[in-house]
Amino acid sequence: MRAIVKNGIGVFTPQGFLDGNNSSTFLSIEDIEVTSQLNADTILVSLKKVIFFNKNGLDIFVKLFKKIREKNSITVGFCDYDKKKFQAINRFYSNDMSFSLFKTLEIASLFSQSFKNQQKNILLYSDDKSQRTAMAIELHDNGHNPIVAPTLEDFNEKASNKAAYDYIIEYTFLGQMGQKIATRVTGNAIIYTVSAFLDTDIGNTFNIAYHHNSLNVGFRLFIFDAYKVISMNIHAFNFFSKLSTSAAEYNATIVFVGLDFTKIPESFKENMEDAGILFYEQMDDILQNKELLKELGASSASNVINKRVIDKSTVTKLPNFIDATVSTIEMMTNSKAVKETVEVNNIEIKEKEGRIASSIGFYGDIDGMVILVFPTEIAKKACELLIGEKTDDVELILDTLAELVNIVGGKIKMLLGDHKISVNITLPRTYHSVDDLLEVVENKKGVQVDLAFDNDKFLFFLTK
Amino acid sequence: MITKNDINNFIEKIPPSPDVLKQTISLLNNEELTKASKVASQDPALSAYLKNLVNKPLYGFKNEINDISQIFGILGLSASQQSVYNYMLTLLSPKKWELFALNESSFYELQANLSVKWQKILEHLNILDQDIESAITLLPASIIVSEALFKDVKTDVEMLRGVHALDYNTILLRLCDTTLFNICELIAKKWEMPPVIAEILKASSGTQKSENKEINQLGKWMHLLLFYELSKPMFINAELNDFIEFNVEYVEDIYEEFSTLMEIS
Repeated sequence: MRAIVKNGIGVFTPQGFLDGNNSSTFLSIEDIEVTSQLNADTILVSLKKVIFFNKNGLDIFVKLFKKIREKNSITVGFCDYDKKKFQAINRFYSNDMSFSLFKTLEIASLFSQSFKNQQKNILLYSDDKSQRTAMAIELHDNGHNPIVAPTLEDFNEKASNKAAYDYIIEYTFLGQMGQKIATRVTGNAIIYTVSAFLDTDIGNTFNIAYHHNSLNVGFRLFIFDAYKVISMNIHAFNFFSKLSTSAAEYNATIVFVGLDFTKIPESFKENMEDAGILFYEQMDDILQNKELLKELGASSASNVINKRVIDKSTVTKLPNFIDATVSTIEMMTNSKAVKETVEVNNIEIKEKEGRIASSIGFYGDIDGMVILVFPTEIAKKACELLIGEKTDDVELILDTLAELVNIVGGKIKMLLGDHKISVNITLPRTYHSVDDLLEVVENKKGVQVDLAFDNDKFLFFLTK
Repeated sequence: MITKNDINNFIEKIPPSPDVLKQTISLLNNEELTKASKVASQDPALSAYLKNLVNKPLYGFKNEINDISQIFGILGLSASQQSVYNYMLTLLSPKKWELFALNESSFYELQANLSVKWQKILEHLNILDQDIESAITLLPASIIVSEALFKDVKTDVEMLRGVHALDYNTILLRLCDTTLFNICELIAKKWEMPPVIAEILKASSGTQKSENKEINQLGKWMHLLLFYELSKPMFINAELNDFIEFNVEYVEDIYEEFSTLMEIS
């Protein structure tokens, strides 16, 4: 069984009955290994579709939690249960509960720093005072507004007015929380959240592979949300200086927001500025300023470093890339594709209106990037299979499109693997419009394939 | 990935129920056990299936039983009819399973386990109805249909399920506006099975509830029984555990009764 990762949270969803006889069949050693390599800041086991479990049934997952925590220092636990199940888990592990319990996946996401929507009004209650405090601090740290009910009576009274709160939290327990640096993507900027005292541990908690992948896929602006940083020592200072120097090779910018220098040596700031790091007081100073965003590179991808560039060997694999893409879109839309033209040139998009785009990079034995330009209607149709209903919500369509392009990337990786070509794929990136895409790839040369799906034009572009 | 055309092709290829089976079932319906066993004996494959089935440890017979009339006598009318329907289903099952890690033996075991436990449930519910007893035989058809439709697109499905939790039934519904259970209903019609069998089966999907309260209740028991069986290590390893979605809320009101009956602790 494999976890499905969305918004930084990996979720296992076993079904039916969990006992000592079957639990080990749900998770193989390979599954555990794969889980530890996931790019997630939280790993959860959902009990939504489990009707019966005993301690032996949960033990295999608790062992998984321990391994993942030891290796990745991320939040682990169970979610999606009722009061009875919550009490049972507490009874089973009362003496050694290092994992967390979140009543629902939605509640878990409030505690995840990858959660995009902040400033939620949250009523919470736990009969354990220290838990109430811990939850309030975590939620506050994540930008929410927690309202703590000191007694059950008070909680019940407040909770009866459901409309007053975005979320109501009960039957939740915080074990050891994640120490990984949380990551979220806003527009075309990557935001890392750092907090407390920054020391040598930053090297362990910062996901350097994710950062490199983001550079490879074309992200050029990296913002450290440092409102909650108290101070940093020389090791952390060196880490950020090196990060900025290496980012400069990609023409990328590192920015710190909200960093308070009262407890940080002034010389650190000067040296970090010399290394190219910029400092801003408020996040909105950057995110709401489109001109500044453009200047900082949030929509630019110039001067990409690539040790191995797309060449004849990449182009000879073109049928594989096209097959992978076409079969995935065919699968998702249940329609047939017709290849119309193939040209080696700069990307040319004749019809820009009503189109959205997505890209995914690959690097390893060969490097490159696949760009897909969809008519919005095809994108909607392809996403219907994943969403389960028609939608006009552009953000939801783009999110789902990213999942679809992830499938394409996975398929490319597999097809190339069949030819003994080893590549890794980067995170998918989406573009609201063709103009957004062209800002990144306008002058790039590559192979363009125009395809038609049920008479809708669809564009595939392979570039370095 | 899968089109309505693929589904139509699959349904077209379903062989009609062989005459021997039709006659056997008709005689069993008329409570003519001896005549039914004589007709059944004419089909060597059916005879072999029945012998193999009844001599499984699940049935608990000390000595090997080889005579069909003896087998029908031991099983009785309802269980004999169930066994003949179970055999009919094996005619549809693939020689080699590709989507699920099953084989002839493990599939028989699933059929036998479901049949025996369904019998136990119906006894508990005081239901004595030959057709309702046979309803369980169509349940594994949903697995056969999944195998037939999805085996050639296994990699695509794995990729899809790698990014989004989707079961085969949902994928089929979203792609073709039909479900595994609707296809099973067509199989039942083609094989002239009593309509109540397909009705209960659809209710057992957990997604296509019946307006008939009694059928819906039986559907709940069957849904829970299916996941009780699919939680066995053999079937988790066969990747059957999540081929359809388990609807916990649907069965919550009968769970305590089920757990007592199956002695789950």
